[in-house]
Amino acid sequence: MVDAARHPKVHILTYSEVQRIEGFIGNFRAKVLKKPRYVDPDRCNGCGQCSPVCPIEVPNEFEEGIAPRKAIYIPHGQSVPLVYTVDIDNCIHCYKCVNACGKLEAINFNQQPEEVWLDVGTIIVATGFDSFDPSPIEEYGYGVYDNVITTLELERIHNSAGPTAGRFIRPSDGKTPKSVAFVQCVGSRDERFNIYCSGFCCMYTIKNALVLKQMYPDAEITIFYMDIRTPSKGYEEFYQRARQEGIRFIQGRPSQISEDAETGNLFIQAEDIALGEVVELEAEMVVLSTAAVPRADAEEMSSILNISRSPGGFYMEYHPKLRPIDSPTDGVFLAGAAQGPKDIPASVSQGAAAAARAGRIMAADKWEIEPIVAYVWAERCISAQGKQCGICAKACPYDAIVVEKGTAAQVTAAKCHGCGGCVAECPHNAITQMHFTDAQILAQMHALLAKEPEKKIMAFMCNWCSYGGADTAGTSHFEYPSNSRGVRVMCSARMDADFVYEAFRLGAGMVLVSGCHPQDCHYITGQQVGAARFDRLSKILEKIGISPQRFRIEWISAAEGAKYARVIREMGESLKAFDPQALHEENERVRPELEKRLRKLPEIPRVAEVLGQK
Amino acid sequence: MIRLNKSDSSFKDEVMAEPGGENLMRCFSCGTCMSACIIRREEPEYNPRRIMRMAILGMREKVLSSHLIWLCSACDACYKRCPQHIHISDLFAAFRNIAVREGYTPPGPVAQVNERTCVACGLCVEVCPYDAVELVQKRVLGHEKTVSQVDPARCMSCGVCAASCRSGSIDLVNFSDVTVFEVMQEQLLAEALG
Repeated sequence: MVDAARHPKVHILTYSEVQRIEGFIGNFRAKVLKKPRYVDPDRCNGCGQCSPVCPIEVPNEFEEGIAPRKAIYIPHGQSVPLVYTVDIDNCIHCYKCVNACGKLEAINFNQQPEEVWLDVGTIIVATGFDSFDPSPIEEYGYGVYDNVITTLELERIHNSAGPTAGRFIRPSDGKTPKSVAFVQCVGSRDERFNIYCSGFCCMYTIKNALVLKQMYPDAEITIFYMDIRTPSKGYEEFYQRARQEGIRFIQGRPSQISEDAETGNLFIQAEDIALGEVVELEAEMVVLSTAAVPRADAEEMSSILNISRSPGGFYMEYHPKLRPIDSPTDGVFLAGAAQGPKDIPASVSQGAAAAARAGRIMAADKWEIEPIVAYVWAERCISAQGKQCGICAKACPYDAIVVEKGTAAQVTAAKCHGCGGCVAECPHNAITQMHFTDAQILAQMHALLAKEPEKKIMAFMCNWCSYGGADTAGTSHFEYPSNSRGVRVMCSARMDADFVYEAFRLGAGMVLVSGCHPQDCHYITGQQVGAARFDRLSKILEKIGISPQRFRIEWISAAEGAKYARVIREMGESLKAFDPQALHEENERVRPELEKRLRKLPEIPRVAEVLGQK
Repeated sequence: MIRLNKSDSSFKDEVMAEPGGENLMRCFSCGTCMSACIIRREEPEYNPRRIMRMAILGMREKVLSSHLIWLCSACDACYKRCPQHIHISDLFAAFRNIAVREGYTPPGPVAQVNERTCVACGLCVEVCPYDAVELVQKRVLGHEKTVSQVDPARCMSCGVCAASCRSGSIDLVNFSDVTVFEVMQEQLLAEALG
């Protein structure tokens, strides 16, 4: 951190908040609020004269609240920059600090918040994580029993620079505990709180156990765990060392921790799974290894940065295997635990990788993007005619479309990722998608349904998931009826209601719309745009008079080849069960309504010729 | 319920200090030993993993008084499979050594030396697969004499020493030459008489 601060090309803005991000890859603008420190960083030399005279004491955040700090403070000894800050919410304006500062005159209570706009080419999000608050787990008694603490609190208690100056003592009576029990997976691998494994807690618990064993060789240390996970280089050896040092590992998650009110000791009940018997341990201190959770402001930051979050709440990578460092927004990269729980080596690796990913872009004069982007026919856009619309902008997961009344919708090509949601949503057919135009898709449908359409299953598939699922079904040799016909588009968001109407107008026996599961969508919220549309559409189709079994919506991942095959099989069977004469009559009956709904279709450039209406 | 504070947490250290017991704490209860064990096929109650687990948890009395610690035949089917390289038969010998020191005796028969007739030829020492026999100086009937002595903690009652003894000085309790001959005779007689 000190090195970074000294680097001529690195500017660190601490005590600041990113409030807004505009622009696109290579051309971002960031609005940053610099909060007032009430200390002039150019004058403050970090001498620390101000802090001791301050009469106010509040819980110290860095010490996990187990030690006080003053209202003029630095967060911790290695703070960069080494500049004091006045905690104005707790300051009583006695100005003792001003006197202590004396001739330096570094303290200035007239400082105001300052907004700055920064021009940046790329953004790396390294906002870290929070630690799970275990108090909702009532059976562990955190917050009720003094001697039940979290591992982060333990880290401060046995730290030589911590509030106890390295004396390992327990909160209830200040005595050094002779027996310590650690409890793993507190708030993680728990459906009530967080389903995921935080990954690094096993290692930091083993580390803390060994540190305590080194400090107090006679201490009885017991670790209650469900599984010990030590998957990185040298980790298993560390675990083995801990066992040999005499640390007791008990496989079994405690069900109850209770306190002996007189001694402050704790009774932990768990099953020793290896023995198949319930054990009870009396320990003088219990340390809970709490889950790593997304930061409290993760949601807010995700909307500022326009990046999505995985089901656990951490920021989502573009692709879990192939692009684990990129966010879904070009030019924004993820590093460290902001993307998911990570230990130090993994965070360092990802940080270096993110810097390298960003460096490629910073070093380039031009940057190539995917050609599959949306394009607005200005003359067809009703916003240009002064009417209120903006449906396209609402559908865009990337904030790539700006709609101002009086001018046509503007697509920033560098921000567009080509899901096609805007294209399908536009009620006036004023937007198209390069390489996936309406004319191209309709031409495919016409060819696929040219012969015996009533015996066909028309399947729309998204590029990333359901098409991959169909591919997996094929390569795995899962059998499904040969009368299915697939059209691939980039995202389920691109599957226009008009395509479904046209498929039924052409007589298709069955229509399937399929895409990613919501959490897998490669276009942040593209799947949701499609899903909402299909929901409406299935009601409309039923109202028009199309039998409900003829239209199906399915979310199929690229790994779910078996599911794809099953869905097509079921649709095939359902089509077989349909009386051909009844199907034909149904098609004839609904055709006028479908034609009415499709009457504007030929207005779209090049569509008329596909429909044979030159 | 097992109250861990009532158990003897120093037992694991005691075992680890005993030759053969060094690697006790490496055990992470994978169960490989248990599924490889041939003794278990005859004695379903026998489970080396469980016994090691009890030792790790400090269940001293339970381990030392258990008849199970005497059952290991040292076939070492588990040793060559153990992912933590724990020599389990050595570990069990360590348990037994401690047990003998504490006054526990093996539940099964062990080889008995007739010190009066023993000539200290040392053949039994050579043939014992478990290093359970050694030659010691002893006072027998008022005379200083070298005789062989069986360590009950190591003896697995295989009877090799008894079979090889030239002077007929070693017998297995319940399986003495006389007993075996009697049983044989009875069976042969029964067969001959139809």
